[in-house]
Formats: sequence, C-alpha cells, structure tokens
Amino acid sequence: MFLSVLGVALGVAVVVAIDLANTSATEAFRLSSEAVTGRATHHIVGSRELLDERVYLDLRLEAGIKDAAPVIDGFVSIPSNPGRMLQVLGIDPLAEGPFRSFTGGVGSGLDLGRFISSEQTGVLSALTAQNLNIEAGDSLKVRFEGQEQSITIISLLEAESEQSARVLDNLLIVDISTAQALFGMAGQLSRIELILSEESEQSAQIAALNEFLPVGAVLERSTTKSETMAQMTRAFSLNLVALSLLALVVGMFLIYNTMTFSVVQRRPTIGRLRALGVTQKEIFSLVMGEALLIGVLGTGIGLLAGIALGQGLVHLVTQSINDLYYVLRVRTWDLSYWSLAKGVGLGVGATLLAAIAPAREATSAPISTVLQRSTEESRVREGLPRLALASLGLAVTAILLLVLPGNSIAISYLALLLLILAFATATPSMVVGMARLARPLMSAVGGVVGRMAAQGTITALSRTSIAIASLMIAISATIGVGVMVNSFRSTVEVWLEYTLRADIYVSPPGLVFRRNDATLLPEIEAILRSQDGVVGAYSVRTASVKANNERADLVVVGPGPQRKEGTRLKEGDPDRVWDRFGAETTVLVSEPYSFRNDIHVGDTITMGTDQGEQAFLVGAVYYDYGSDLGAIMMSRNTYEMYFMDRGVSGISLYAAPGQDVDALIESIRGRLAGKQEVNMRSNRSLREASLDVFDRTFTVTIVLRLLAVFVAFIGVLSALMALQLERARELSVMRANGLTPRQVWKYVTMQTGLMGFMAGLMSIPLGLTLAYILIHVINKRSFGWTLQIDITPAILGQAVILAVLAALLAGIYPAWKMSRSNPANALRDE
Amino acid sequence: MLPDSKHEPLLKVVNLTKTYLEGESERHVLRGVQFEIYKGELIVMLGRSGSGKSTLLNLISGIDVASSGEVFFGNRNLTALSENERTLFRRESIGIIFQSFNLIPTLTVAENMLLPMELTGRLSTAQQARALEVLEEVGLKDRSDSYPDRLSGGEQQRVALARALAHEPLLILADEPTGNLDFKTAGQVMDILQRLVHDEKRTMLIATHDRDILNLADRIFSLQEGQLVEVTLDTAMGV
Ligand SMILES: Nc1ncnc2c1ncn2[C@@H]1O[C@H](COP(=O)(O)OP(=O)(O)OP(=O)(O)O)[C@@H](O)[C@H]1O
Ligand SMILES: [Mg+2]
Repeated sequence: MFLSVLGVALGVAVVVAIDLANTSATEAFRLSSEAVTGRATHHIVGSRELLDERVYLDLRLEAGIKDAAPVIDGFVSIPSNPGRMLQVLGIDPLAEGPFRSFTGGVGSGLDLGRFISSEQTGVLSALTAQNLNIEAGDSLKVRFEGQEQSITIISLLEAESEQSARVLDNLLIVDISTAQALFGMAGQLSRIELILSEESEQSAQIAALNEFLPVGAVLERSTTKSETMAQMTRAFSLNLVALSLLALVVGMFLIYNTMTFSVVQRRPTIGRLRALGVTQKEIFSLVMGEALLIGVLGTGIGLLAGIALGQGLVHLVTQSINDLYYVLRVRTWDLSYWSLAKGVGLGVGATLLAAIAPAREATSAPISTVLQRSTEESRVREGLPRLALASLGLAVTAILLLVLPGNSIAISYLALLLLILAFATATPSMVVGMARLARPLMSAVGGVVGRMAAQGTITALSRTSIAIASLMIAISATIGVGVMVNSFRSTVEVWLEYTLRADIYVSPPGLVFRRNDATLLPEIEAILRSQDGVVGAYSVRTASVKANNERADLVVVGPGPQRKEGTRLKEGDPDRVWDRFGAETTVLVSEPYSFRNDIHVGDTITMGTDQGEQAFLVGAVYYDYGSDLGAIMMSRNTYEMYFMDRGVSGISLYAAPGQDVDALIESIRGRLAGKQEVNMRSNRSLREASLDVFDRTFTVTIVLRLLAVFVAFIGVLSALMALQLERARELSVMRANGLTPRQVWKYVTMQTGLMGFMAGLMSIPLGLTLAYILIHVINKRSFGWTLQIDITPAILGQAVILAVLAALLAGIYPAWKMSRSNPANALRDE
Repeated sequence: MLPDSKHEPLLKVVNLTKTYLEGESERHVLRGVQFEIYKGELIVMLGRSGSGKSTLLNLISGIDVASSGEVFFGNRNLTALSENERTLFRRESIGIIFQSFNLIPTLTVAENMLLPMELTGRLSTAQQARALEVLEEVGLKDRSDSYPDRLSGGEQQRVALARALAHEPLLILADEPTGNLDFKTAGQVMDILQRLVHDEKRTMLIATHDRDILNLADRIFSLQEGQLVEVTLDTAMGV
C-alpha cells in the first residue's frame, strides 16, 4: 500500500515537475516578449535586426503614420550581480502612449527632460530596484559586450497591477538615445512598432507601407517573433515531456504490480467473502475503490513533490535555454491549473487503469478458501505462445511506424513505447527460456536451493515476469539514454577536434554561449592581427538574418585555409565548393538547417540583405553540432557585398610554431588592457567549455533518467516483496521440511539475483534498440544531427550490474523477513 | 504391548511449557508436559480443540521454541540447538504431516516428495527410487508430475504422507492427518498408515480426534489443561 502510493506519487511528481519547468520557461519568455512587444500588431525590422532610424522619421513625417514607435531592446549584465541579466527597453516616451500601458507612468511622474537628455538615465520598477539594492538617484553599472557603462536611475515605477508587475520585473527602461549609446547602435533601432487598424483594412495599409519602406527593411506581424522563439525550443521541450512520460509508464507498471499484489494477498479473504454472498460486482468496486484511494493519496503527495522538484528543474531548463537559445530569466514559476489537472488525471487515471486487470482477477477468485496459484500459473504458461505472438505484432507495428516516411516525433515516441511493450510481453517466454538455461548452472553453484531458486522464477511466472519486465524497462532506458548521450558527446568531441584548429579564440563576452553575435571593437582586431607570434588571424561574424522568410543565424567566415580545414561536408563537392564559396553568391548550410528547412545542395535561399532580397545558392551541407537551430555559412566577401556591417564577433589566432600559447595570451591581454573586455580561450579551454555546455544541456536528461531508475527500483522492490510474501506459507512448509534460515537467504538472494541478471541481459538488446531509435530517429527528427553511435562495453556492463544490484537490494527485506519469521505462524494461518 | 524399559527412549520430553503472550495477557498452553516415546511405537494424542496439540508437535519438531523444558532425541537436547541446527536435525530425522496437506502448490507431486531429501543436497538415486516406491505404495505413481491443486484432498494427504515417509525419518509427526478428509478417504489414509508405519515399525506421534486411529495405537495420550496423561483405549473411546 505504501509502495503503491509512493509509485503513483513519483510518477505524478516527475510529470508535474517537467510540466512546471516547461510552462514556467514559456511563461517567462511570453512575459519578456510581451514587455517589449506591447500592443503592436506589426513591426518593421532591418536585415540584421537593425534598422536605420531615418526610416522612423520618414515614416512619421512623410508617410504620416502616427501609431508608430521606435524600439531598441537587448540585454545587459550587471557586474555587481554576476550571472544576473537585465532586459533593456529603449523607447521614445512621446511615441509610447498607445503601445505599452506600463510605460505610461514614464510620462507622468517623471522628469521627462532628464529622461530624454543626453545624460545616461533610466527607470526601473521599484521591485527590481529593491532586488538590486538600488534607490532612485543611484547609478547602476551595466555591462554590454565587455564594456561597462553606468546609468542613473532617475525614478522608480510602482506597478499598478499584478500583471504589470510581472512584465516590469527585471526591465530597465531607457530613452532611445541612451539605448543607442549603450548598445553601440548609433543611428539605428531594433525595430519600429506599428498598430495597424482593423483586419479588413490592413492589407491595403501593408501594401502602402511595403511600397514606402526602403530596401532592406521588412514589415512583419508582431507574433512572428515569439513564434520563432517557441519554435526554437519546441524539440527541446518535447524531449523533456517524453522523458517524463517514460517515468509515468514505469510508474504504471508499479501500480499494476502493487494492486495485483494486494489482490492476490487477499484472494482467500475475497473467496470467503464471495462464499458469504458478496457479488463479483461488489468485489470489483471494492478493489477499484481501494485503487482510487491509492491514486488520490499518491497524486496528492506527487503534486506537492512535483512542485518542489519542478523548482529545481526550472533552473536546469532555464540554464540549458540560456546556453543554447536565448536569454531567459525565470522570475516566477508558473503553476497552471492545467498542469495540475494533468497530474491529477494521470495519477488517478493511471492508477484506476492499472487496477482494472487485478480487480477483474479478484472477481474471479474461486469461492473457497484454497489458494490456487498453480492453476493460475499454468494458465499463464498456456498463454505464453499468445503473448509471444502479441509481442511480435507489437514489434512489427513499431518498426512499421518507424520506417513510415515523415518526421513526426510523436509517432517516433509511440513506436518507442510499442517496442518497449513488445519486449515486456516477450519477457515471460524469455524468463522461462533463461531459467531453464540457468538451472544447471544455479544447481552447480547453489545445489538444490539454487535449482529451486531458478525453478521458482518459472513457477511464479506471472509475478516474476512483471518484476523482471519493469526492471528491464528502467535499465534499458538508462542504456538507451546513456548510449545516446555518450554517442552525442563523442561525436561532438570529434567534431570539436576537427573544427577547432586555431590556438586562441578571442570574442567579446556574449549572452548566449552558442550564439555569440557581440561585436569586437575594430581597434582590437587590428591589435590582434599585428601581434608578434601570431601567424594567422581569421574573423567570424555572427548575425541574425531573414532567410526564406524565417530568422536564421548567419555565420560569416573570413578568407583563409581554415574554412576548408575546419569544415566537414555532408553533401557537396569538397574540391570545388570552396572556390565558389569565396567568389560567388554561394553559401553553405549546416546539417540541422538543411534538415529543418529541407534545403539541399543546389537549392536557393532568399535572404533579406541591406541591398534588398537576394537569392543565394546552397553549395554544400556541413556538419555542425553547435546549434540545433542550424546556421548559414557565408564568406566575408559576399557578406560585405550585401550587408553594410563591417564588425567581427570573434577572431581565431594561429600561433607561430613553437610559440607558447599561454604566454601569447598573456601578452595579448596586456595590450588589450583598458580597451574592451574580451574572452580569450585557448583551444583546449574552448573545447572544455563547449563540452561543459553540452554536459549541462543533458543534466536534465540525466536527472530524469535517475528518477526513472528510482521509480523502477520501487517497482521491483514491490514486485519482489509481493512475490516473496505471497510465498510466506510455501517457505514455511519448506522450513518445516528442513529449509534452514540460511538457505532461505540463499534461496531469495539467488532468485532475485537471477531475476536481476535476466532483466539486465534483456535490457541490453532493448536498450540498444532504444539508443538506435533515439539517435537515428528521434534525435534526427528533432534536431537533424547525424551522430556516430558509440557503445562502450562499460555502459552495458554497468547496466547488468545495476540490474542485479537493484534486484538484490530489493530482495534484502523479503529475505530478512522470511528468514526471521516463525514458520509456526504461517502454518497456523489457514 | 509395553515399552522395553531397558531401551533408551527415542524421544523424551521433560517438563515442557509453552506460554503465548497476547498483548498484556499470558496464555499458558502447555504447563509441564512430560512423556517418552520408544522406537517403533505408534502414539496417538487426543485433546480438545485448542488444547495445544499442534503447539506440542511444533515444539517437538523444532518449528517453534518452548518457553521452558527440554526435548531429548536420543541423548541430544533439541531445545539447546540453534535454529539452524534444529532445522538440519528436522530435515534429517523428522517427517511431518499436517492437517491441511501443506504441499507446495508450485511444485509437482514428485518434487514435493523429494523436497526434504533435496534440501540436504545429497539426493541419491537409491533414495529417488525409494521415493517412487513410496509414491506407488500410496497409489499415486501416475500423478507424480501433477500439481497439488489437481489432486483431491485425500490424494494430497497421501502425497504428504509419502513425503514424510520417503526419507525414512526416525520420527513421524502427524497433526490430524485425517482431519480434513471424509470418512472413506480417511479410511484409505488409515490403511496406508497401517501398512507403512505400523507394520514396518516406524515411530509415529499422531494428534487426532479420529477414534478409528485409536485402534492402531500402541499407547494413547490425552492433552488436558496443559498436561499430557496416558489413558487406556477404553477411557479414550469413552471420552
Ligand atoms: N501465536 C499464538 N499466540 C497466541 N495464542 C496462540 C498462538 N498459537 C496458538 N495459540 C493458542 O494456543 C492454544 C493451542 O493451540 P493449538 O493450535 O496448539 O491447539 P490444537 O490443540 O492443535 O487445536 P485444534 O485441535 O483445533 O487444532 C489455542 O488456544 C491457541 O489459541
Ligand atoms: Mg491443531
């Protein structure tokens, strides 16, 4: 009873926690984008998320559009609070009125003159200020791309409502000119926001605007931005959800197990009740009622535990999103009624569902007081061929689903689930086979007790196979996920080795590890190129552009041999593509980009450039594990032809042969002192940092995997206890016939050990199949990466050992209990 | 037939008491039981329900431990042995038959029979053959591969009987072996007892209500008020 409640609770907790983490991240993102979007229906952006401010003036003065507001947004870090990021919103207070209600306050209680003045001033919400330990009049030090500046906070905003408090939280509002200085965007805007009138008249307005806009500026609907962001993390969140469902499946096994146990344990009682005239229906509702109680109790505990666990997960999930996708700060964790309802539904529903079979078993209890297990066992054994057939059917369906063309991740997971079920239904036959094989061996090792232990796994097949199956599923999940993460890691390692060839990497500190589009000061580039001991310096520029009407990352590489050396092609002719790449309008796309957008060699990509829309030919697809969003690679020549930007985001340096790299870094650091703070990483430390991020990304996965194993462990514990306690009487008879307490230990331990070993063995093929599907189907369909499968014997060995250990551990309590119990008691128990 | 007083008794029970603790209150079930059994005797123990017959048998077989007093088997003091030693002793030297058959439902008839010998880890082919013989004698040779719940109550009890006899124990303890059987089936079991035990001079202690068994008894004991007293056949029949 306790175990079943625990099982339900664990399952529910994991699902709720993941849900909580996901919705909190989504909600945080929605709030932060709402803060900057406001009531705008459309906005105008430039080719690289930058727009000349003259467009705004023209719009207001020449086109006479009133409901338009210029905006600059971005993030700064706060040196006094390491790790803390502040969202900056640069506005024109005079144009703001219709757009954002909360900035209305900016106009009223505020010294407007000072806000707009050339002085660097800004406004914070009272709450954020309190958080940062700042009062009105203080100056706040902020850092952007390695340069520190200070902003005088001239007043604090009191939020008028809960809603606006949340939107205002962590937001620094400044005047447009202040933001331009802060982000080094003189004369530029992030975008212009517009409120267009009713839907019906919009198309005419849009047509007129498009006519008016200069080359390079594009009109977009305001929702597109948040849609893109949601799209970015879709696969990431989906995988989390799938993992939580896996935990629930294992949890269901557990519930089924314990419910069956509680029914079997009381079969004699139920038989007597039936003899006394209790109907089958009443028995059924009795058992279901009990299940309901367990479900409700477990769900209640699970919800509480899930909320606690979720708060921990929120951090892990936000961390990964920050590393990989975009800046996100979760301020509140959001508990939606919907995710609570989901938890309740799953917990109670799964329990009731799992209880149906045992409840029906209970109604068929013979009307007598004799326990008739062996009849039931022979029924199970007669059913073996049918189970094996069902298993085959499930496996075939799963394979069909997998080879089915299409990229649906949900279908892949369904196939995965069916495969797991196929293995589970094959378990009884496998157990019988393996027990027969093990019998001579166990007999040789443990004599008759060993043989009986082996035989016992067959004689109580209906119980043992469930315990073995649930252990097998959990262990194979650890193998599958383990092999996947390992393969992933070693593929990335090899790729890093191949890609990172320079000795030193220099870049301004960015906000998102994998998408650094910060800009190095031009003078720094010059210093680096002229440095003694440097024989080659190659620049990289990262920019966000619009390609085929969607946001995409553009990676611009300077000329040099490093392009060819550091890039491995998946598609395309390596001998010819590099010449064309330097000279023509040819670009390369990364594997995930190619996959996401179904773009291959020979296709064209239409990009919004500063010269207007321009078609580029895809010359090759290259391997890239840096970003699951994909990237387009362009040569510096081409970039400078189509974009006005001359900045660089990073420079890689090749040291002269024999040059001490650390000394070189020191000397460069000396020359850069006081100019711009930059990150300088040696080849090795960049590689390590990349792998660190990689490992962090998978922390959530690993935590969940541990949880799944824990749930399974509880499951095995309850199944084994059920099994051994059910055998209390049998063991007592054996005790009466001369089985010593030591032999009881030996019997139980050998049996559970064997069961663990069986589960471990069977989990290897299942685990590898899961790994194969995770790597070649699910990962491919989610991210589009080609990974080299990397199976280490250690992982497989660990799995078997883990299975045996879990089973042995789970056997300790029953063994202890059985060996201690007075057989006289069990014998009297008629 | 009187026991040969020159012979050492096979089983000697000295001042045996058993007190159950039920919460605060104590229940004195056995209050100084004292008796001896000689080799080849068939002893029947009578007593009302709840008088402590099963308790006494469990103490003799070492399944349960006495509150005080001693049980000697030859010159070995069973009450001084450890749990483990008692078990080893039991499986070598004692055969047990319970009222409710107590076959292991997940083992076949043959497996059930061979269990005590198997547990010693030294099951010889000779023993195996002997076991099959016994099974044949109880008339169930053709059922050796059946599971217990496919057998009738009488058949099950015959298997239990065969199991208790197969390893040729020094002492057979039977707790109401016919208690769960109808008149006719009980008769069959009695026949087997007669043949296998009495005629072959095996030593046996039977706890029963069944007066038909009394006719086979060499001596009759009655358990009353926690004490064991020897009674004559006539008094026993009259009780
Ligand atoms: N573990 C126990 N705790 C408390 N009382 C017990 C325990 N075991 C037995 N008793 C009591 O001891 C007494 C003797 O029990 P026992 O089973 O030996 O009787 P019995 O003579 O075999 O009866 P029956 O003929 O009905 O089988 C009974 O009153 C019983 O309630
Ligand atoms: Mg009794």
